[in-house]
Formats: sequence, C-alpha cells, structure tokens
Amino acid sequence: MRILVAEDEAELSRALKAVLDHQGYETDVVGDGLSAVEKAAENSYDCMVFDIMMPVMDGLTAVREIRSTGNLTPVIMLTAKTEVDDRVGGLDAGADDYMTKPFAMKELLARIRSMTRRSTAFNPSRLTMGTLTLDIDEQELSAVHSIRLSGKEFQLMEYFMRNPGRAMKTEDLFTRIWKDDPEADTEIVWLYISYLRKKLSAVMAEVTIEGERGGSFTLR
Amino acid sequence: MGTDSIYGPYEEYLPLIMEELTGRISAFNEERRETTGHPVYEHFLYRIKEDKSMREKCVRKGFPVTTRSALRELFDAVGLRIITRFLDDVFRMVEFIRTIPGCTVVMEKDYITNPKPNGYRSYHMILDLEVPYEDVDGNVPGHYFAEVQLRTLSMDSWASLEHEMKYKQDIQSTKLIVNELKRLADEMASCDISMQTIRDLIRS
Repeated sequence: MRILVAEDEAELSRALKAVLDHQGYETDVVGDGLSAVEKAAENSYDCMVFDIMMPVMDGLTAVREIRSTGNLTPVIMLTAKTEVDDRVGGLDAGADDYMTKPFAMKELLARIRSMTRRSTAFNPSRLTMGTLTLDIDEQELSAVHSIRLSGKEFQLMEYFMRNPGRAMKTEDLFTRIWKDDPEADTEIVWLYISYLRKKLSAVMAEVTIEGERGGSFTLR
Repeated sequence: MGTDSIYGPYEEYLPLIMEELTGRISAFNEERRETTGHPVYEHFLYRIKEDKSMREKCVRKGFPVTTRSALRELFDAVGLRIITRFLDDVFRMVEFIRTIPGCTVVMEKDYITNPKPNGYRSYHMILDLEVPYEDVDGNVPGHYFAEVQLRTLSMDSWASLEHEMKYKQDIQSTKLIVNELKRLADEMASCDISMQTIRDLIRS
C-alpha cells in the first residue's frame, strides 16, 4: 500500500511518515499542494492525506486538480479549521474524509484502513454469486459456460449482482441505467431483463431474475 | 481398388440418398415459408465427400482405406450444413429431422448449449438412413450414414474464421488470436440470444 502525505509543518510530516512507515505503508511526503498534484500524476497511491493550509497550492485546490484528471484515490483532509463550511468545502472539492487538528494518530490510521479497505472491497474485478461470475474488466458473464454482455446489459447485471435478493422496481432500474439516454423508455428495462434471463440460462447459471414486466425484479 | 472410387459399387447410391434427405428438408422449409412467411434456414449446403478427402480422412483417423471404413467407420460420406438466422430455427430443424421416416439419430452433439472450450458452437447429428439400396453389409434395405451440422449465420461465420486460422501455422501471436476468437464467439452468441429475444417479443 502506498500513501501520499502533503503537509507543510515539518514536525507533523516527519511524525506522519515515521508512523505510516512503521505500519508497513510505503509513504511519500511533500510540503505543498502543487508537489502533491505532481506526485499523484507520477505514482499510483492507495490513499492520500492532505493538509488544507499549505504554501504554493492549498489542499482543496490540489484535491480538485487531482479529481479533474479522473483520479479517484481516497483523500483524507487534515484541517486546523473547525468551521462547518471548511469541512463541507473539503468534501465538495472531492475529499472522502477529514480530520481536525489536533488528531490522534491512531484514529488517522483507522481511517486510512477504512478508506483503503473500501476501495478494494467495493471495486472488485469480479462479482460472484454461487457459481455465477461477472468479470468487470471483460464484461464476461460465466457459470458453466461464458458469454459477453453489451454495455447496458453489463451495467444492469452488475447492479443486480451488487444487490442480490433485493427487489428493484422497473422505474428505479431505468433511472439508474438509462438516465443519460433521452431516447430510452421504461419498456427497455423489460427487454434487457429478457436478454439477461436468456443469457443466464445460456451460461447455465443457477440463479435467475424473477419478476414480471413493468414490476420489480430480483436476482436469486 | 486401384483408381476406383473408395465408395466402390455404392458410389452411385450416395447422390440418390442425399437427394431424398435434402428433398425432405427443403420441402419442410418451403412449407414453413408458406405457412409462417419465414423460412427455417437461410442457407442449405450439402455434398458427397470427395474421394480424395475421404481417403485422407481414413488415413488421418487410422482406418484402412476401404469402402467399409468410408461407409461404416466414418459418418460423413453424405454431409449437410443448415445455416439459420435465428437460434430457435436450429432447434426447429433438429426436431423436424427426428421425424423423417427411415431416419434414426444415432449420435448428436449440442455444441450450442455446451460450446467447445475454444468457443465453437454448432449442432451436430449423425443419421442412420434406411434406403431401398444395398449397403456395404449386403443388406436390402440398406443403411447409410449422413452427418448434419446446424448453426446460425453468426456461428457459421465464426467457424469459417476459426477454420482459416487452424490451417495457418505461421500466424503471428497465435495465443492472442485464440483468445480473441473465444471472446468473439461469446460476443456473437450473446448477439444471437438478443436477436432471438427481440424476435420473440415482436411475435408475442
């Protein structure tokens, strides 16, 4: 696990590096926001810890810059300010969490663990349910046999596999998968459910999508 | 046998046997076209395996190059290929073939439901046909085999691409091609199912 720390107070940044190194993280430390942006572009980190008040470029601007490149690495902001608006500003800029100085090192470590756990557990490269597997990178659905899904089919199947056993309304599925398609009509949900049912049966999956046209659907 | 045909005296019966079988299949197709407005198949190909390829196949499979091998050990002296537009049509035709009088299905492999690991999809049937001609065992009526392969247009175009690559040993990065062919087969199978689903919805 690799962590980027941006902190301009020398004493605190030394302490952070010592503690993080000790925990087995590979830690890079920089002293301003601009260097943080450069480092984030250079390397792939599992978590980033940024101070808000820093010279050259502040932490908020740095997070905004990093997010604008499509980088979704979890970011924890450190702030001396305790104003609600500052915390809101940090979260809105793209940070995932914040801690108010002074903070307990133990708590920061727990938050880093929580953040990195989340990114791996919530973004697995494959989802499974019994013998059924959905390969996220390949858009491949497989059980006894395998088949490739098209874009929307894949999104719908992924959503079902992240919510096994849960009944989901046609309208909700439509809003989630087809919200950006002005041409689409809720009737498309039934068509795609029909595709997926036949494809689940083609790969000989033990699960199917239950439900009636226009109603709620459940994967089980 | 010298320069004689590997099929020996039975050579003359093969076109007659093939005609009888293909005639029934074409008639069924016409009947469906008239009653439903849709033919069952898109293409229908058939052939008697050439003398040269039959001899080569005997050697390849380790059988003596004899008339008996050609007509008893191997099943594709008469070969049919039926290409459909939709998945269901493959199974519709399979069901029809089972009902042809004097025709017994002796072996069948459903590589559509259970594709080969490389992605190959097709439905194979070996038929035993009872015909009013003498066979290699001296029986009248005699028994002859015919092989039928049924698949959709997309399975067929995949199979021809795969066939091409199998006979090109010099091909670059074969592993990559093999993986890509498998991916393509799975994508095409997915499209076949989607097409069938839409057709069912339109007709329901």
